[in-house]
This record gives sequence, structure tokens and C-alpha cells, in this order.
Amino acid sequence: MKKSIKSLAVLIGICAFVAVIIALTNSITAPIIEANEAKKSNEALLEVLPEGGSFDLVDISEKQLPESVNEVYRAANGGYVVKLTVSGYAPGMVIVCGVNSDGTVSGSKLVSSGETPSIGGTAAEKFKSAVIGKTISDIDTVDTIASATKTTLGYRNAIKDALNTVVILGGGEVDLRSEEEILADNLSAALPAGEGKFTKYFFVEAIDGIDAIYTADNESGAVCVIGEDFIGADAEGNALTECSEEAAELVKTAITKVNSTIMSEIDLTAFEGLPSQLISAKLTESGNYVIDIKGAGYGITGGDEYHPASGEYILIRVSIGADGKILDCLTLSQAETKGIGDACANESFYGQFDGKTEESYNEIDAISGATLTTDGYKKAISRAFESVKILKGGN
Amino acid sequence: MKKNSSLYVLFNGILRENPVLVLILGTCPTLATTTNVFGAFGMGVATLAVLICSNMIISLLRKIIPDSVRIPCYIVIIAGFVTVVQMLVHAFVPALYEMLGVYLALIVVNCIILGRAEMFASKNSVGKSALDGLGMGIGFTLALCAIATIREVVGAASFAGIAIPFLEPLKIEFFVKAPGGMVVYGLLIALVGRLTKGKSPKKKDFTCVGCPGMSFCTKSTCNVKKEV
Amino acid sequence: MEEFKTLIVILMSSVLVNNYVLNRFLGICPFLGVSKKINQAVGMGVSVTLVMLVATLATWPINEFVLERFGLEYLQTIVFILIIASLVQILEIVLKKFSPSLHQGLGVYLPLITTNCAVLGVCINNINDGYTFLQSVVSSLGCGLGFLLAMILFSGIRSRIDETEVPVFFRGVAITLIAASFISLAFMGFAGIVDNLFA
Repeated sequence: MKKSIKSLAVLIGICAFVAVIIALTNSITAPIIEANEAKKSNEALLEVLPEGGSFDLVDISEKQLPESVNEVYRAANGGYVVKLTVSGYAPGMVIVCGVNSDGTVSGSKLVSSGETPSIGGTAAEKFKSAVIGKTISDIDTVDTIASATKTTLGYRNAIKDALNTVVILGGGEVDLRSEEEILADNLSAALPAGEGKFTKYFFVEAIDGIDAIYTADNESGAVCVIGEDFIGADAEGNALTECSEEAAELVKTAITKVNSTIMSEIDLTAFEGLPSQLISAKLTESGNYVIDIKGAGYGITGGDEYHPASGEYILIRVSIGADGKILDCLTLSQAETKGIGDACANESFYGQFDGKTEESYNEIDAISGATLTTDGYKKAISRAFESVKILKGGN
Repeated sequence: MKKNSSLYVLFNGILRENPVLVLILGTCPTLATTTNVFGAFGMGVATLAVLICSNMIISLLRKIIPDSVRIPCYIVIIAGFVTVVQMLVHAFVPALYEMLGVYLALIVVNCIILGRAEMFASKNSVGKSALDGLGMGIGFTLALCAIATIREVVGAASFAGIAIPFLEPLKIEFFVKAPGGMVVYGLLIALVGRLTKGKSPKKKDFTCVGCPGMSFCTKSTCNVKKEV
Repeated sequence: MEEFKTLIVILMSSVLVNNYVLNRFLGICPFLGVSKKINQAVGMGVSVTLVMLVATLATWPINEFVLERFGLEYLQTIVFILIIASLVQILEIVLKKFSPSLHQGLGVYLPLITTNCAVLGVCINNINDGYTFLQSVVSSLGCGLGFLLAMILFSGIRSRIDETEVPVFFRGVAITLIAASFISLAFMGFAGIVDNLFA
């Protein structure tokens, strides 16, 4: 018993002795280690902002910054260094970006990523030099690098977020909402009864003066967009939002027209020579056609054959007025490459077709980096015009 | 040389009982840190420092430490010195700290240190234990540097991080990879065996000698040992 | 689902790609020492896996809730090695008491594991790699299984060495190391397998 107590005492004594030595050493080395690390991180910051001098961590807990921002350092010369985590080909791409006091990118660095070193890594290196000197207004003009689109797109988003952060920290305001969020906010403000769920109305009739109509999914009414204004209206078309009499009149006419539209399905088998891509066609009383048609995008090569890359057609709905102008155009479904060709599902792309005729539809801008998708889309529009001609001739 | 002279104790570790090439102790750091001469030398010196300190302290306390708890005591002392060395390296040679990574902490379980504590320091005077630690440490460092020189020059065409341009086209990357380390180590052991022609202590088989637990599991049911 | 994928990647990478023995050189001593016969190899491998798992279960929470909370990270090495040493002792006592047959099989290897660098290595690496608790457990399981796999494969190779004429100065350690290098070379073939696991 006495022996084991002695053993225990010795063991405890040795532990205490060792603990003291470690604590002593730690008290000497800890400040040095800390200084070393600070110096090292300062060097990393200097790499992206060479004229920064020294850096101070900025407290960003109270600020409304883009979600990707992790840390912000303010440099002695008025510039900033922003550390962000974004998604490239794989999630968790950490990027450090330096911004000069005049708002231009001074440099950036890919700190860590799950990217393929041979592809994404080299692309990031190239992209790094391309973004130097860019500002928030022209950062979008930097083209992504083919074969590493996702990596470079992620990189560009990071730089953009970094630039936005600097604007916000400088006291400026940046709308961090995405376009969809802005639209949703506007719609809800115009028609609270819609409970935030709206569907964009597909124009089958020419309605002058109205840019777009969003119908509430719960049938409580609709929102008409006239220029910058969002005007809510009840199901009968009576304006609920304050607006000019003129606008109220426009809305009333528009909603009445929407409510009274009658369409009849056309029997496609009665016609000969229609493109095989045509899925369905409808005719309104005023003589407008609504065409659903398949387009061959990147997913399908020239001969309309399935390509395993995405393996699906782009399904397009287009309404063509009696005067031969496109009233409205919409991408119903698509399976194009994410981040590139899938831009064909954005209104900024298909909205370009509005008002175009058979002669002028070809003028629209192609989606950058997705020529095949754009070409397929245009081909489908041309087939829609062709179909309308045949359908009219048959009548 | 007299068997008990200080010089004998010192050179014993460097040559006759070189821990790496003759006793085959500490194989893990030997293989893991020898891709670069700088790293190997740093590892050697770090181990040397821990070895001397722990040998001295253990020898100093050899009459106080009861037999029943000696192994935990040794481990605590060794781990303490390893932590101290770890912190010093981190503070003063950060590049080495990064290069060695987890292997610096793993000096704790380096068979050489616990082995020397049990086999030598617990039975000898403080001065001799320090000399033994010094000799063993130098022996360890030299062996590591030898292996690292071969691996780095042949495998990476550089020496301690300095590139040797004319060897660049001739480098065989295999040698800085894991299997290359094993081949170089194996060949060196064979070479030492050839040079000493069996004069060195008879090369013990791995089973328990090469194992750190060997020194203290004599009293336990170490059947593995008895089989050899 | 993402979490599950991460776990699979950690498991595969610790068993095959970053095999502790063959790639990171942790646990070489028992790998060379106790791999002469297949039953020894299995016993040692299973014991190491078991201790790795138990050690991770103990060290991860202690690091997270004690060392990091009180800013004592610098005590990591000493605390971990003490935990492992005590765990091995406790494990031996428990096995002896509750499963004498298992103790018969594994007991002899347990004292040797205390200072096995693979066990301490896996505990420290789990912390350094920033793994969560679950990931740490999977990672140590993988490392243990990788060790077991390497041991079993190597015991097969060693039985072949025993039957061959080895040059006299290569006998024993030297030829064992060179043989080990071949199996390590073979495992290098797994590099890259994890990158394409879910590609």
C-alpha cells in the first residue's frame, strides 16, 4: 500500500515537473510563434496587395456582406484584402483577393481548392492575371477559361464579391439580392395577396404598353409591369397599386384580354410537311399562333441525335402574332451544360426574341461559350416560323 | 578502447550499435523524413536533443522512480521534452516544423528513446547517460543524413533543397517516394552488414528487438518474443 | 449524402491511397516485426485497429472539449500518449476479464501497441486534418484496416522469402525492407482512385 502511494506520488511529481517545464517553454515560444504566424499571414496578404504595407483585421460581424466573405483586412494604404470561400468545380475554393483603394483588383490567389490541379489549377493561374486591374463594372467582361469554366466562374464570382465587399465597407451600397430576389420582392410589394407565388404570363396576344404580366398562383390577381413600375391588380383587372389613370386603364385592358383569351388546339396531322420537331400548336381568336417546339442544343449534335453529354432537347414555347412578329418566347425545359448553355433558360436570353420577325430573329446575341446551344435555339425559332407558314397555308 | 570508458559509450552509439543501421530502431522517422537532407538533419538533431535530455533526467531519477510505474514515468518525461522541442522548433525554425509535421510529435514513440531510457539511462550515471544519448543521437542523425543524401540526390537532383542542375535529367523520382526509401534503407543495412562482416553485435531479428515495447514487455506475456 | 460521400472518400483514402504503413511510414516496426506468420499478422492488425478506434474515441473529445477550450493545444502530444498508454492497459485488463479467449489471441500484441506511432499518428492527424468526430472515427477505422491489409499481404510475401536463397548480408532486415518496398510500390497504384470515386 505504502509502495503504491509512493509510486503514485513519484508519477504525479514527474507530471508536475514536466508540466512546469512545458508551461515555461510555452511562455517563451508562444509570442514568437504568434509573431511568426502574423508575419506569414501578412506576407500572404502582401502577395495580393503588394503596396498594402501592414494589415488589420476588419470586424465584419455587423456588416451585410456577400455570404462568401470570410475575412477582410484593411491595408495601411487604404486598400483591402478579402478572403472568400466559393464553389468552383468542387465546393470549398478559398481565394484571397486584394483591392486597391481606387477599387481595382491588385491581385488574387487561390489558397486552397479541391480543383483538378492540371486543369482548374492552371486555369486559376491564367485567370489570376486576367482579373488584375478590373473594377466592379468590368469584372464581368473577363471571359471564363474553356475546359475549366466552373473553376473560373467561381473565381470570378469571388472577385466580384470581394469588390462588392470593398464598396460596402467604403460606405457604398450594393444590392446583394439576385435578380430573382429583386423581382420577387417587387411582385410581393405590388400584390401582397399573391403570397409571393407568381407565374409569368405567356403573351399570346399583343398587349400594348405592358412589359410583362405575372399572375398570382392563388388566382388572387396579377401584377403588370409597365416600365419600372409594378402594378398589382385584382382578378378583374382593377388596379390595387397607386398609379396614374392611364396606367390603370392599360392594366384593366390587359387583364381583361388575358382573361378572355380563347385558344384552340390545332390538329397537326391535318397538315403535311410540318417539321418533325413541332410538338403542338394553338391558335387564338385573333389569329396568333402558340408553338411548342424542340430545339437541338449542345446536348444533341447536328443530326438531331441524342448526345450523351446532356441527352435532352431544349423545349421552347413561342407565340407568333398574325403580323409575323414574335409576341413572347419561353424556354420550357433544357438540359444544357450547367453554368454555360443553361443560360438559355434565362429570360435575359429568350427575352431577346420578343418583337423579332422571321427576318430579324437572327440578330440576337449568342450565349458566350455556348454557340451550339444558341444555334440550336435559333434553328428551333426558324422552324416555328416555318410551321406557322404551313399552318396558315393549310387554313 | 575500454568497455566502460566515456569514449566507448559515445562511439558505441555512432558506430558499433548505430540505432538505425545496426539496431534497426526508429524505422518510421528514418523512412519518413529522409526525402530531404535538411528535414533529415533537423529530425536527427531534434531526436538528439530529446534523447540527451530524457536520458539525463531519467538517469538522475533512476533511484527515485519505482519499478512499477517506470514506463509511464519515462513516457511522461519523454513526451514533455518532445513537446518542448516541438515548441522550440515551431518558434525558431518554422520551415522545419512544417516539413516534419506530425513526425516531430511522433518522436515520443521513437523506439530509440524509450529503448535507451530502459536499457541504459535507468542503469547508468547521469554523465554516461548523457554521452550515450549524444552518441546515439549523432549515430541516428548521421544515418538519417546518409539515407537522405542518397534519396535526395538520386531522387530529386538536389541537396538540402539546393538543386543540382546537371543531375536534373538523370533523377529517378522513385527514390523520394515511399518504396524508394525502403529500398535505400534495406541496401544500406546490407552494406553495413557486409562492411562489419558480422563483427557488430549480431543483428537481432525484428520481432521484439525492433519493437519499442520489447524493452518493457519482458515481464508480460510476450509470446512473440519467445517464438524467435 | 455529401457527408456520406466524404466518409467513403476518407475511408478509401486511408485504407488504400494514404496507407499508414506503406505510404506514411507509421507503424513500420510491427509491420516488419510481427508479420512473419499470418496469424500473428492478423492478431497485430486487429489489435491495432481496435486501439486506433478506441484511442480516437477518447482523444478527439478530449482535444475538442478540454485542450482547445482551455487553450492547452501545446499539451496535445503528452496528453495523447498518456491516454493511449492508459487505454491499452485498460483494454488489456478488460479483455482479460471479460473475454479470455480474445485476450489469448490479442493480449500479447497489446503492450507492443502503446508506443506504436501509427496509433498516436492517427489521433494527431485526425485533429490536424480538421475532421469531425464521425470523420475521425471513420478515418481511424480506415487506417486500422489499411494496416491489417498491409500486414496480411506482407505476411504472405515473407513466407515466400523464407523459402528462397537470400544473399547472406541481405538476410533478415535488409531483404524484408526491400520486399516491403515492392508492396508499397504496388499500393502507389491506388493513387488517384479517390479523386475519381464519385466523378
